[in-house]
Amino acid sequence: MDPKPEPNVSRRQFLRDGARAAALTGLGGLLGVVAHRATAKGFVWQIDPQKCVRCGNCATHCVLEQSAVKCVHAYAICGYCQLCTGYFEPEPNDLNTGAENCQCPTSAIKRTYVEDPYYEYTIDEALCIGCAKCVEGCNRFGNGSLFLQVRHDRCVNCNECAISKVCAGDAFVRVSADHPYLLKTMSHGA
Amino acid sequence: MKNRKQDITRRQFIKKGAQDAGLLALGSAVFAGTGRTAGAASAGADVNPFAYDVGRLRTTDPKLIQYEQVGVFRSPYPEPRRIAVGPEGRLYIAAGNYVSVVDRDGARVSEIALPRPAKCVAVAGDGTVYAGVKDHVEVFDSKGQRQAVWDSPGKKAWLSGLAVGEKDVFAADSGDRVVLRYDRSGKLLGRIGEKNKERNVPGLVLPSPYLDVKLAPDGLLRLNNTGRHRVEAYTVEGDLEFFWGKPSMAIDGFCGCCNPVGLALLPDGRYVTSEKGLPRVKIYSKEGAFECVVAGTESFSENWRKCSPSDCTTGGLDAAVGADGQIYILDMVEANVRVMARKKQA
Repeated sequence: MDPKPEPNVSRRQFLRDGARAAALTGLGGLLGVVAHRATAKGFVWQIDPQKCVRCGNCATHCVLEQSAVKCVHAYAICGYCQLCTGYFEPEPNDLNTGAENCQCPTSAIKRTYVEDPYYEYTIDEALCIGCAKCVEGCNRFGNGSLFLQVRHDRCVNCNECAISKVCAGDAFVRVSADHPYLLKTMSHGA
Repeated sequence: MKNRKQDITRRQFIKKGAQDAGLLALGSAVFAGTGRTAGAASAGADVNPFAYDVGRLRTTDPKLIQYEQVGVFRSPYPEPRRIAVGPEGRLYIAAGNYVSVVDRDGARVSEIALPRPAKCVAVAGDGTVYAGVKDHVEVFDSKGQRQAVWDSPGKKAWLSGLAVGEKDVFAADSGDRVVLRYDRSGKLLGRIGEKNKERNVPGLVLPSPYLDVKLAPDGLLRLNNTGRHRVEAYTVEGDLEFFWGKPSMAIDGFCGCCNPVGLALLPDGRYVTSEKGLPRVKIYSKEGAFECVVAGTESFSENWRKCSPSDCTTGGLDAAVGADGQIYILDMVEANVRVMARKKQA
């Protein structure tokens, strides 16, 4: 009877190679997961401007000290009105930039003369608290070019958004992080 | 050693224990219910500290309202846009894909079918009907037979008002911010209201498509320059003669992005203006001084509601004046016509 052939690998080598292969497989899997997360960012909170009822809760219920919800302006549909009902109090003393005539509680809207009779309105996001007072004025009497959006340069994307729980218009929705904004592109009456 | 005598029996202990547990459970339930009710009440009582409050503008000083409603009838079709008075006092309503002819009580006399939604209408003294769809004018004889289809003034055309004189037809084109002057055969004769520094014409500002035009008894045209919140008078050649009006939410002004959205003229040359946003119909003197209210915002609750939450650009009113001075108010949201007569004591 021939002697038993010598094995090509010893038990120790087998175990060592097996452990190495398992480690590499695990590392590969980990890299795959990381790569997947890097390309698919998941979902973030956003406000559907067509559902927003300007209830004021965005200003008072965000977990951040200053709300991550800001007013944004769709310039393409703005009327550049002299009597901007987003900018002015309902019954202003005069149509100028005097604080007593302006309705934004934090003076976050800037009014700039363009040419007779047009004025441009821009939002200073550092001051805007997302109260939607201007949005209501613009929607009620204007073209609806002012609207609210969650700004993702400051939103912490809570699992359960504190504003969404109290949103009176049920306007908070989850959207793909690849397309995180729901922008108006045409006036509501067009 | 003798056992001390027990104060309560086992049965009493169990009975008392059960009573205490029941009371505890009841108390918990009541407390929880109270808390929940209080919480709900608190939530319901939340007041928006940033509310845009225009509630006080929803009512009109009764002393200013000098007309009363003497009738109302439905528009023959939904989405009415303009109303005009023709010969024999009949009303012509541009609504849906039709121009409907009705008598003063709203009974349908006839109707003219159009290929697209009717945006405006005017009627000549001989009964010829000029109907504007979005981008062109169609002409019909007094029996409703199509006589002509005029060329479109351009891709951006959005006709929103028409007026007709003895020799001319004027088409208010909101899309191109101009009033086009045609002869009765459809030949373009001129453009009115365009910005022109040499002629001192500032141009029309129209954030929404509500440009209207009327030909007054003095031979001048009246246009509503809505973005400037004023009424402007032009010669038929296009010279700006005068204007009046101011931006304001007060009763004597015009508010929002664009008002007034409709014009009509009383037999003595005074103005009837129609507005959206704050839906109201008012009368101004020939010089443009506010005189009185025909119907205030409180009369048009649906039209007001249409602007909230988000659809102001489709609301609004239009008006036409009968030979007897009665004012017909077309509500574009409720799709009805209100007949207004001056109060006897006014």
